[in-house]
Amino acid sequence: MFTLKRKWMMSGLGIFATAALLAGCGSAAGGTTPTQQAQGQTTPASNNQGPVEIAFWHAMGGGLEPVIQELVSHFNSTHPNVHVTATFQGNYDDELNKFRQSGKEDGPDVIQVYDIGTRYMIDSGRIVPMQQFIDQSQFDLSKFEPNVLGYYSVDNKLYSMPFNTSNPVLYYNKDAFQKAGLDPNKPPRTYSEFAQDAQKLTVKNAAGTTTQYGAGIAIYGWFFEQELAEADALFADNNNGRTSRATAAVFNQSAGVNFVNWWKSMIDQGSMANLGRNTADTQKAFEDGKIAMTLDSTGGLTPIVDAVGNKFKVGVGYLPKPDNVPQDKGGVIIGGASLWITNSHPDKEEAAWEFVSWLSQPEQQALWHAKTGYFATRTDAYDQPIAQQFHQKYPQLEVAINQLHDTKLDYATQGALVGTMTQARQEVESAIESVLGGQQPTQQALDQAAQQISSQIKQYNLQTGK
Amino acid sequence: MYESEPPFSLEVAQQPAASIRKRRKLPLKRAGEMGIALGYMAPGLLLLGLFLFYPAIRALWLSLSTTDLDGKITGFVGVAQYRLLFTSPAFWTSLRATLLFAVIVVPSTLLVAMGLALLADRELPAIGLFRTLFASPMAASVSAAALIFQLFYNPASGVLNDLLQHMGLGPVPWLTAPGWALFSVALISIWMNVGFTFLLLLGGLAQIPRELYEVADLDGISPWQRLTRITLPLWSPTLFFALIVTMISSFQVFGQINILTRGGPIGATNVLVYDIYRNAFFNFQYTSASAEAMILFAIVIVLTLLQFRIGERRVFYR
Repeated sequence: MFTLKRKWMMSGLGIFATAALLAGCGSAAGGTTPTQQAQGQTTPASNNQGPVEIAFWHAMGGGLEPVIQELVSHFNSTHPNVHVTATFQGNYDDELNKFRQSGKEDGPDVIQVYDIGTRYMIDSGRIVPMQQFIDQSQFDLSKFEPNVLGYYSVDNKLYSMPFNTSNPVLYYNKDAFQKAGLDPNKPPRTYSEFAQDAQKLTVKNAAGTTTQYGAGIAIYGWFFEQELAEADALFADNNNGRTSRATAAVFNQSAGVNFVNWWKSMIDQGSMANLGRNTADTQKAFEDGKIAMTLDSTGGLTPIVDAVGNKFKVGVGYLPKPDNVPQDKGGVIIGGASLWITNSHPDKEEAAWEFVSWLSQPEQQALWHAKTGYFATRTDAYDQPIAQQFHQKYPQLEVAINQLHDTKLDYATQGALVGTMTQARQEVESAIESVLGGQQPTQQALDQAAQQISSQIKQYNLQTGK
Repeated sequence: MYESEPPFSLEVAQQPAASIRKRRKLPLKRAGEMGIALGYMAPGLLLLGLFLFYPAIRALWLSLSTTDLDGKITGFVGVAQYRLLFTSPAFWTSLRATLLFAVIVVPSTLLVAMGLALLADRELPAIGLFRTLFASPMAASVSAAALIFQLFYNPASGVLNDLLQHMGLGPVPWLTAPGWALFSVALISIWMNVGFTFLLLLGGLAQIPRELYEVADLDGISPWQRLTRITLPLWSPTLFFALIVTMISSFQVFGQINILTRGGPIGATNVLVYDIYRNAFFNFQYTSASAEAMILFAIVIVLTLLQFRIGERRVFYR
């Protein structure tokens, strides 16, 4: 009997432990209470009781994060009425996922979202269009890059403030050009020039193994989208989803097929290496001199030039264009990310706008440009001394900036506004892989991908209820 | 003392049956014990319920519904999502990749770990060092391992292809060809699994009474008979456990695929868990992700039960 009692006591301990655990969970959940209180205290900040707290989420990891922190602490020290806390939330995808799971209390007031998240952010119903603040404060956008504004404008409204922007460019090994008897100051401009140069740049050893491929392009859907824009062709219907909501993918036309065929023909000839999806792998191959030309983001310019060092001279050129498209048509789409103001706390929106508009000033944009290699969102930032020093060190940047300025803004170069772009990229990448591997003819692979993506877009539109 | 004791005690096996019979005679006392048992289990049940059973039931519910972009349920559609999956070729490709992955990983892991455990199960100078080395892969995190293998597999300047080239063999498209990618990713899993499985199996070996081997040696048994007649039967409970654990974990492979191939090329490494991840967190397809999770759950349950039914007959519990 006694033992049974003891057992009951012990088991009671178990229940007690459970209760304690529950309480633990409760207090863990209640852990937000102090912050809520803190927020409660700052809410009357408008009544001049300390700075307004702004939560800023971003996806700039690695060497980019210190630059963000530098900008933020500079802002905080010069703006006593606002205090911004910047938090790195993982890469763009992870960050957006966290945003989707967050509520009004634990979510951000300002969030950086990648280019292809634009449609979703608008549909989320959780943001205030940037245009509202621009109109209210009569903010001057005249010095901004028109192509950069173009991407983030929907129905003639700027929904978010462009922040970090980049483009793809052609990188080439100037020394290899010289050895192959090509002019190192004349990179290829068209598909056929590129293919001819690639063949000349391919080097084999005595045993017949290729020691240097003419070129290599990572299987990354972004390049496909960019080459469509080079051909002045559309990715999705309704003018890339710009005149009204996109309902289907239309990239399986001549421009898309032409691009993939061109790529495949070089793989077949042995002048192009297939290095898979990882852009880092292709970048490494270029830095090691295993491929003489590649496509990559301008964001990679400083790391690539630094990694190559004295091994060879790095040249930068425009993205190759299809032969049948005039050089003054089409161009590149801006890539990167922009800043959104959420509607979580209406009383904080003013402070959030103060921060966002401050980041867009020429001084901040020049510092950001010079320390990261991303473009400035406005042209007058390039007149700042820090930007000019940067260009002296990396003269290749001029080419990249010129390419952006030479791009005429139209629906093709404005870029596709599709809610399921992340998914669409995967489908396109799979299609390219199956063509390069010889599993499917180009037209069939692209038709299939377009069909898949179209049904995904329709599903998305159903889910948004629009 | 050893000689007088039979190697396997039959008494032990009979004991539980006897006590069950006793308990049935006293239902009241039994109820009391049940209450005590529940009290003891309460913390565990609560944790499991909170973090396992409740989410699982929610996932089942989600798989029968439609949602908006943020995963909030907007309607009930029954098994429509399942029907859609079973008619989608992409789902079958994913399922095939998952099964193929398990078929590559599970037997290889077990065989390598068995070999290493047999090697390390002897008293040699510095054997602790070898045991530590053999078990060390379990200390590596998936992402660290994947990044290191990424350097090995690098198509342009990877160590593996350089080695092959020195031996006069052509470069292997480790991660870029659909035929190779799953194998390359599986190799990482094998390497990572071997550490823990080795440790588990070594523990199993240590539990085999030494006196059995001593007796067998006196009888002049051959090394092969020693392995098949004594070691394997007595090892079988541990082997069986290792088999199930390895199988379940190989159905859940994710990290190295997310880092190295992202499901490509052409879906060759798009295993179910990765597909679930893409659907739930990128594609706004919460319901089809949930349905896939339910199917994966069913497959793992069925396979585990099958193994218990078939495998356990061969397992020898002392």
